[in-house]
Amino acid sequence: MQPFTYTRPTTAPDAVSAFASAGADARYIAGGTTLYDLMKLNIEQPRHLVDITAIAGLDKIETDGDRLRFEALAPMNAVAANDVIIRDYPVLAEALSKAASQQLRNMARVGGNLLQRTRCMYFRNGADGVYPCNKREPGSGCAALRGLDRGQAVFGTSDACTAVSPGDFPVALVAMDAQLEILGPSGSRTLPIGDLYRLPGDTPHLEFTLAPGEMITAIVVPKTPAGRGSTYHKIRDRESYAFALASAAVALEMDGDQVSRAHIALGGVATKPWRAPEAEQKLAGQRLTPEVALDAGRAAFSGASPGKHNGFKVELGARTVADALLIAAERSRS
Amino acid sequence: MSTAPFPDRARIDAFDKVRGATEYAADIQFPGLLYAMTVTARIAKGTMTELSTDAAMRVPGVVRVLTPDDFPPPPPTGGEDGPPPPPPTLEKTIAYRGQPVAVVVAETLEAAIAGAEAVRPSFADEQFSSRIDSAGAESESTEDWTAGDAAAAMAGAAVTIEATYESPTQHHNPIELLVTTAVWADGRLTIHECSQGVNVTKGSVAGALHLDPALIDVKSAYIGGGFGQKGLAQRQTALVAHAAMLTGRPVKLVLPRGQIFHVATYRPNSRHRIQLGADATGKMVAARYHAEHEQSRTGFFSPAEYHESPIRMYGIENYLGTAANIRIDRQAPGYMRAPHPQASCFAFESAVDELAYKLDRDPVAFRIENDTKVDPKTGHPLSSRFLNECLTEGARRFGWSRRSAAPGSMTASDGTQIGWGVAAGCYPSMMPPAIATLRIGANGSTRFATSGHEMGQGIRTAIAAVLLDGLDINTDKLDIVIGDTTAAPQHMTAGSWGTAGAVPVAAKAVERMRAAVSELLAGRTVAGNLHRQLASVRRPYIEIEVSQVGAGQNNDALAQLREGGFVVAGPEFPEFTTMSYIAHFVEVHVEPHTRRIRMPRVVSIADCGRVISPRTAASQVRGGVVWAFSAALREATEIDRRYGGYLNNDLADYVVAVNADIGEIEVGFVDQPDPLANSMGLKGLGEVAMVGASPAIANAIFHATGKRMRELPIRIEHLL
Ligand SMILES: Cc1cc2nc3c(=O)[nH]c(=O)nc-3n(C[C@H](O)[C@H](O)[C@H](O)COP(=O)(O)OP(=O)(O)OC[C@H]3O[C@@H](n4cnc5c(N)ncnc54)[C@H](O)[C@@H]3O)c2cc1C
Ligand code: SF4
Repeated sequence: MQPFTYTRPTTAPDAVSAFASAGADARYIAGGTTLYDLMKLNIEQPRHLVDITAIAGLDKIETDGDRLRFEALAPMNAVAANDVIIRDYPVLAEALSKAASQQLRNMARVGGNLLQRTRCMYFRNGADGVYPCNKREPGSGCAALRGLDRGQAVFGTSDACTAVSPGDFPVALVAMDAQLEILGPSGSRTLPIGDLYRLPGDTPHLEFTLAPGEMITAIVVPKTPAGRGSTYHKIRDRESYAFALASAAVALEMDGDQVSRAHIALGGVATKPWRAPEAEQKLAGQRLTPEVALDAGRAAFSGASPGKHNGFKVELGARTVADALLIAAERSRS
Repeated sequence: MSTAPFPDRARIDAFDKVRGATEYAADIQFPGLLYAMTVTARIAKGTMTELSTDAAMRVPGVVRVLTPDDFPPPPPTGGEDGPPPPPPTLEKTIAYRGQPVAVVVAETLEAAIAGAEAVRPSFADEQFSSRIDSAGAESESTEDWTAGDAAAAMAGAAVTIEATYESPTQHHNPIELLVTTAVWADGRLTIHECSQGVNVTKGSVAGALHLDPALIDVKSAYIGGGFGQKGLAQRQTALVAHAAMLTGRPVKLVLPRGQIFHVATYRPNSRHRIQLGADATGKMVAARYHAEHEQSRTGFFSPAEYHESPIRMYGIENYLGTAANIRIDRQAPGYMRAPHPQASCFAFESAVDELAYKLDRDPVAFRIENDTKVDPKTGHPLSSRFLNECLTEGARRFGWSRRSAAPGSMTASDGTQIGWGVAAGCYPSMMPPAIATLRIGANGSTRFATSGHEMGQGIRTAIAAVLLDGLDINTDKLDIVIGDTTAAPQHMTAGSWGTAGAVPVAAKAVERMRAAVSELLAGRTVAGNLHRQLASVRRPYIEIEVSQVGAGQNNDALAQLREGGFVVAGPEFPEFTTMSYIAHFVEVHVEPHTRRIRMPRVVSIADCGRVISPRTAASQVRGGVVWAFSAALREATEIDRRYGGYLNNDLADYVVAVNADIGEIEVGFVDQPDPLANSMGLKGLGEVAMVGASPAIANAIFHATGKRMRELPIRIEHLL
């Protein structure tokens, strides 16, 4: 880990200008659960940290009106424990409460959560130059391509990188058509969450579309009746404290037994939070039976391209979507 | 021997532990302490050609960088029968990825880390073999374990089965990291380390640094989980000790977990080919079993010992056990809880289940009918064996009689497949010699010092149970001093012999103390507890010393103990064999679609002779079952054969079981004393607790799904 400077501004505009004057190699830091971890592994090597946790009033959780709004510094746990979210948008609460551990969720903020980096083991282990990794060192190669790829993605991969986008909450937000509020050196803007993430292509080291110095200030989720009929179904190697092998964020608007509109996004299987429009379309107007649910799951995975050890994610993912649909439908009835 | 059950008693250190008051090796502070960090080899095999330390020395706070040139050559080897040589110090020859090549010592931990990152070694690579099936792996046979004539008996068997099983590379991962603090002062070297064998640490540091062992003291009062990882000499110890001697200041090293994966011992990947034969009546008559495991180029952890439990599980009179090391370029594997039987009883007890199914027999009844009273290996009687009692009581508590036998025949209304499985385990019960002093003071204090190490298993609580049972003393000023070479001669605590080492000698001390007190009082009746009695007769304290040896041992064993040697008696005593036993009953649920495997309940009944400390004993069994679950369904260390080293080297990616994984675990004990094993009638428990629970899970999965899982860990993808 190399030495770095540290500032702790108290307003968002001050943070943006602190970042701008620090120049390249600066990073915002919120809960630090991703950034410090990667700094200790020598993967992130910032020279300046702009700690945004002292910014007053940037942690509000708003549930009135026609949208939900979570400010960037709201802790994961606070959003996960919000009564309205639990009741009306279980997909959001579950995506948070099934992530990481209680301790991490206490520290981590929903803004930082969107920008966590992959758990690809070669990426995390390679700072001493053992394992080539294009994401860490552009052009060095990808050890995962012909390596131990059980955990790797089956969607959105390239010849340069197959690393999974690890986060759970972003998958739920993608399913729910969330927007981000962003403040940067050249003012503020909004961005659909799906547009935050890049595919690896041949530049896997570029993961997000934020410009240097841009700060996420809030996450906005439009309200929808599908919220009540929703779930985040996460299948992992143990019952808690593990990233997804396959997960599905599902929300259903039902008309009696028929699906009028489905929101489906996939986690643990793709290089970015992955919307599944084929499956959504397949369901529209259908009566949701277990068979129809499994068909939709299969449709969601029809375009998958697995590697050597992760082929099971295709079948597991399809079944995860199917189970999630049935859970969501059940909830929409109650 | 009294055989009354011991009462339930809380851990005597529980209150301190939950308050964080207990001092572990990393907590101990010294003025002027320096911090060390190791630099490791990036290559999997070859030579370090250059080591530039200039940049590291320029990091503010760095005091010194130790390199291979700072260390003396390895000591002469002790020959075939001598103790294993100490681990190498720093060497230019690289035997495995992650081997330490330099140590940076600095005023702060941060400076030590920055210094270590600034050391830039260069290496010349060589071809290497990183996995059991890599090119260049060398197979080396070891001795056979035999009984009767397995080939002939197998040829005559009415029914046989044959299958191959595999257990992966797994790492211990106690929460406490490897810690060494060394203090060099007034011509003495004092080492504070989490060690299950302070005597081993002492001897190996003396050997590696060419020091007189009489100048070295080693202390390990509390260990945050050992599991065998901290039993053998640790590679960092002599490095830290030497750094303290060269700088003249106390030096502490807390090895990062990622490095521990690469230098500490681990459970090796092993393969087990087993053939079993039964006669027409369903009696098992023959077993042929070949075991092999990955091994370093020079390691000594023997694959022959995979047979130590299977050969004694049942009355199979004809047994041929062969074994081989597969030598590759990794650090040496070693003892990890239930070291051999975890893997070999997974294989063997799965095979027994397969045979029971083939014979169309109930797997509990089949095991009960294959009981034995003799050790097939030696022909000697077993000193006690209550495995059938474990099976019968376990079946009763579990409700086994309600089981529907056919695989896949117990399905819940939502499609969840339910499976009930059973398996048993055994483990050698052994005993080291011990010397103890007991001192009771008129001021209310009691001090008991002997050999032993507290890894959280509860050895102090077991000792206290005996002391408080036999002596009327204060509980709050009871000091039990163990894991300290200055307090009493120390033997390594491993192999489940801790209680057998410490408790009979404590009982003997109680007896001797009672005799000493009654001699002192000479028939007078004096009121109050022992402290008050001493005060009344104006005696500041009484101190007595006692010793014990195991069956078949004599005073030579005590002499060897004083020398810091390894002198364990059993399980093959001169006239009998002593084993501990357990039976596990497991219910699994396999989800209909996404195929997650859950274990809602377990019943485990153990025969560990007399139970000295019921609460910590039950904890041992629960912990063993939890780890067996983890070993069966979760843990595997990932090695990419192209690079060597371990990829998932942290607690996020090396997946161990978590609380949410574990259902109800009901524990019971036969609690019958072994008449021969030792004066207290106790047998070992820590390891047998785990043995057999992994195959019980695999057998339950077979019962639930009809799929026989012969390779661990069993994961979702295997049942999709
Ligand atoms: C052991 C472990 C297990 C985990 N398991 C899971 C899991 O199962 N599922 C899951 O989803 N996650 C998991 N996580 C990830 C965890 O959710 C993230 O680390 C956390 O959400 C990040 O939030 P933070 O506030 O700590 O971010 P930080 O570490 O502070 O920041 C992360 C990144 O975002 C940037 N940043 C932070 N805030 C902003 C902002 N407002 N605007 C712009 N940039 C910003 C930082 O510069 C940095 O690059 C796990 C993490 C660990 C360590
Ligand atoms: S998959 Fe991506 S992150 Fe992983 S090693 Fe390859 S390039 Fe690096």
